[in-house]
Amino acid sequence: MSLAPLVAVVSQVAPLVDPGALLATGGAVEGIQTAARVLAEGIGKGAVYFTIAVGLTLVFGLMGVLNFAHGAVAMVGAYLGGLVLVLVVGANTGTIATILVFFVALALVFAVTTAAGSAMEVALIRPIYDRTPTYQILLTFGVSLIIEEVARIVLTLRGIQPDPQWQAPMATAPDVLLGRTELLGIGVRRLYLFEVAIGAVVAVAVWAFLTKTLYGLYIRAGSEDTEMVQALGIDVRQAFTVVFGVGTGLAAVGGVLLMWDPIWGPSVLLSIDVLLYAFVVVIIGGLGSFTGTLVAAGIVGIADSVTTWLFTTGIVTFPGLSEVTIFLLLVVMLIIRPQGLYGVEEVGGH
Amino acid sequence: MIVGFLLYPLVYEALLATPAAPFAEAFLPAITFMVVVLYMGLFAMSFDFVSGYTGYLSFGHAAFFGTGAYFVVLAANGQVPGVPGGTPFMITLLLGATLAGLLALVIGSVSFRLTGVYFAMITLGFAQVIYELIRSWGYVSTNPTEGATVSGDALAIGVPYVDALSLDVGRLTGESVENLLGLGIDLSATVVSYYALGVVVVGCYFAMQRIIHSPFGRVMIAIRENEERARAVGYPTYRFKLAAFAISGFFGAIAGGIFAAYSRSVAPDGTFYFLVTADALITTIVGGFGTLAGPIYGTLFNQGLEDVLSTESGGIATLLREGLPPSVLEADLFGVSLELFVNTAVDGRAPLYLGIIFVLFVLFVPNGILGTLRDRLGGTVGKRLPYHLRRYRR
Repeated sequence: MSLAPLVAVVSQVAPLVDPGALLATGGAVEGIQTAARVLAEGIGKGAVYFTIAVGLTLVFGLMGVLNFAHGAVAMVGAYLGGLVLVLVVGANTGTIATILVFFVALALVFAVTTAAGSAMEVALIRPIYDRTPTYQILLTFGVSLIIEEVARIVLTLRGIQPDPQWQAPMATAPDVLLGRTELLGIGVRRLYLFEVAIGAVVAVAVWAFLTKTLYGLYIRAGSEDTEMVQALGIDVRQAFTVVFGVGTGLAAVGGVLLMWDPIWGPSVLLSIDVLLYAFVVVIIGGLGSFTGTLVAAGIVGIADSVTTWLFTTGIVTFPGLSEVTIFLLLVVMLIIRPQGLYGVEEVGGH
Repeated sequence: MIVGFLLYPLVYEALLATPAAPFAEAFLPAITFMVVVLYMGLFAMSFDFVSGYTGYLSFGHAAFFGTGAYFVVLAANGQVPGVPGGTPFMITLLLGATLAGLLALVIGSVSFRLTGVYFAMITLGFAQVIYELIRSWGYVSTNPTEGATVSGDALAIGVPYVDALSLDVGRLTGESVENLLGLGIDLSATVVSYYALGVVVVGCYFAMQRIIHSPFGRVMIAIRENEERARAVGYPTYRFKLAAFAISGFFGAIAGGIFAAYSRSVAPDGTFYFLVTADALITTIVGGFGTLAGPIYGTLFNQGLEDVLSTESGGIATLLREGLPPSVLEADLFGVSLELFVNTAVDGRAPLYLGIIFVLFVLFVPNGILGTLRDRLGGTVGKRLPYHLRRYRR
């Protein structure tokens, strides 16, 4: 007897059934289905984590600068992207048009923040490369404070509450993305598919930038041995500026992606949240490692979705489970393997 | 410095009675802000004790502040096993601080295997884990995300079990003293709390200063300057770092404890959160990284700025609103009236200006106020100032 009809029936029912009840029935098929759904959600979340973390690792890999303004830039990205969508998308804008506008906003925000990031590198970070890494952390942290406060002032002046999420751009998300879609017999939220798609585009773009362009070559060489690269006659300072700009731009792209996600959404609090999660991903993957960030984002995403599932089904009644697990992952990784999954041992020490 | 802090409330009160009152109110920090200077200053000092002197950035320092604060509140409510409800505050304060010291030993024992950015990150990770746990731990109160409150009597600083030698603290619950020593000076509850907290802070300052100037402190500085050499000379640097971290956690918890006694309520966001550490970090940098008294000046600067910019005790926004003619206030500024601009861009916006000042300090004054002053004078202010003054007198 084939299982196919049974799978079809269950997959029809699955979105309606409470996951806890699903587990209580205890069937093997339901178990596999739940596991697959949790896994799929984990990959969706992982895509988000990857997008918000990849810029941070890029900058650290070449320059050894841990950019504390990363989260603030992501927050600005979410608001700028939201602004574009709110201005352009009306009540009768079609789905395709809305998604097109989303990509235009993504490109615009990337361009603007990349330019701003490069300017910041030249004006503020360049003068202090010769000091200890502590000062770069302090400086970028100060910049993050300023960005956050300016955002608060601008928002308040425009009559938008900075603290709860800004609902207007979140409402522009097309209805198509809010539903679920049947994929291999499980109902997956389309928003997660969308996020995975964007995450994949970003990953491929960054990978191509690293391996196919001249700057990518400089970066990979520079993260191995900056002095040697300089000795070969390459202007590392210019590469630093470009990389810092791109890293900042990627942070903002992550912010734009968060704009439609009901878990995040544009708010000033995004600044610290993005920063902390990006840290976790980057450290677990290994500071400066692109592959590491990709793998770590997947691990953190799946850990997040599994723990969220454990809580929503009532198996674990501790509400902070998912956050605690994610930060514990960071701590455990630093204890057993400080350089991260793919990191190089010398990077990031004194 | 201590004399300045001692006389400040009296001077402030006296100034409020003079014609200069609006300006004094606008530009001098109110006593409520000065109390914040005391406990946040002590916390920043404890942060500087380990970060500034051994060079290891303790990014999870809020964990110790929070431990001290929560322990005091829970003990006052009789929720700590083994500590009966009526235990004097000074004893619970020390117990909480000891607990934080032990916590620092645990965190430090794994964290000090790492250096640089990794050390900062692992301590941050630990603090965030504790923060998330406390936020959702139902034992603390019915609504743990909002924190806990002291339900009983006011907490007293002083000699335990001797009523005449202890003072209740708190803005509303504290003791007020009338006609002090027959001098005709009345002290409000806030001012009494200010002095009581001040005694603790000064005690902690001298204790830490003693440690810094001891051979132990010398080794801490040696670790900051060149850890490998310190190890090569024969010092077990790991143990020294661990001990320094525990001491720092102890004093950080004392800061948290006196904060809890004064405010009578603790919330996870105001104690365990990353931004509490960030506050200490900023004030330490502005005041002088690696100078023990520097963080107090940094906090004074920070709170002074906050007071000037907030309207709670008549800051600059109030002054502008009352002092400027209405035509100026309604003037158009990019489609926004000046009054609205003042309300949003000045009122309570201290972090913005502090952030700008902080960035400028990192770029141009990396040694902070006190550090730069000492560099200029060629020694500590107390030792070198008389010499310089004498030179000018000639």
